[in-house]
Amino acid sequence: MLVLTRKVGDELYIGDRICVKVMGISGGKVRLGIDAPTSLRIYREEVLAKVKSENRFAAEWELTDFQKMVDHLPNNSRER
Amino acid sequence: MKVMTSRFGALEIDDDRIIDMPDGMIGFAERRFILLSPDNNGCFFWFQAVDNPALAFVVTDPTAFVPGYEVTLTPDEYEKLKLDPESADIILLAVTNIHHDSTSNITINLQGPVVVNPITMVAKQIVLENGKYGIRYPLFTSPAPEPSLKKEEERPADSPQKISAICSNI
Repeated sequence: MLVLTRKVGDELYIGDRICVKVMGISGGKVRLGIDAPTSLRIYREEVLAKVKSENRFAAEWELTDFQKMVDHLPNNSRER
Repeated sequence: MKVMTSRFGALEIDDDRIIDMPDGMIGFAERRFILLSPDNNGCFFWFQAVDNPALAFVVTDPTAFVPGYEVTLTPDEYEKLKLDPESADIILLAVTNIHHDSTSNITINLQGPVVVNPITMVAKQIVLENGKYGIRYPLFTSPAPEPSLKKEEERPADSPQKISAICSNI
């Protein structure tokens, strides 16, 4: 991993089009400003981790759970 | 082709019903999936991995439960999905979870929808980071003596999307 030291107000570029600026530091938190093409999605790591763990949890369905859910659906919501 | 599944045994699936996920489901490496529609599915489908018999998710059409639910794709995602931005004909699937804690609550993940291009059968799971949609949107409690969705307008609508066009009946 490349490790750089920057001061508040300093910027750094990743390639030609992504610019990360240190906006401020307070109370152990760093505020970053990011200029990047809208074609790139930018996520906080924990959001990605949350989706990953929700997927893992979602991979544990048993057939009986499915049946139980469908059997107890509110009336008239069954497709056929 | 023949697809082996741990829940439904061996299935014969038309090749044109196989969905390719080059990036897989987030956290999983498997990249080929099929959508299975059991009899009496109550608008839920199994999203079954083709190359791993044990891996299957339960998915549903989020737009049937959340009116106005929409996902804005980036140019990169259009490209990955081999999707023509002009036509933008997509199917959204929400990963469904059942919580066995006290009651069996059913939730759907609105923050990480699976976007399917029904023409090319390429799909991608997208992560939305706008704070608008939650990861555990509650649908209802099952089983429930008094279903929480009682009012007419709260019942899931007939699936507005054409999921039936890309799934296999089992």
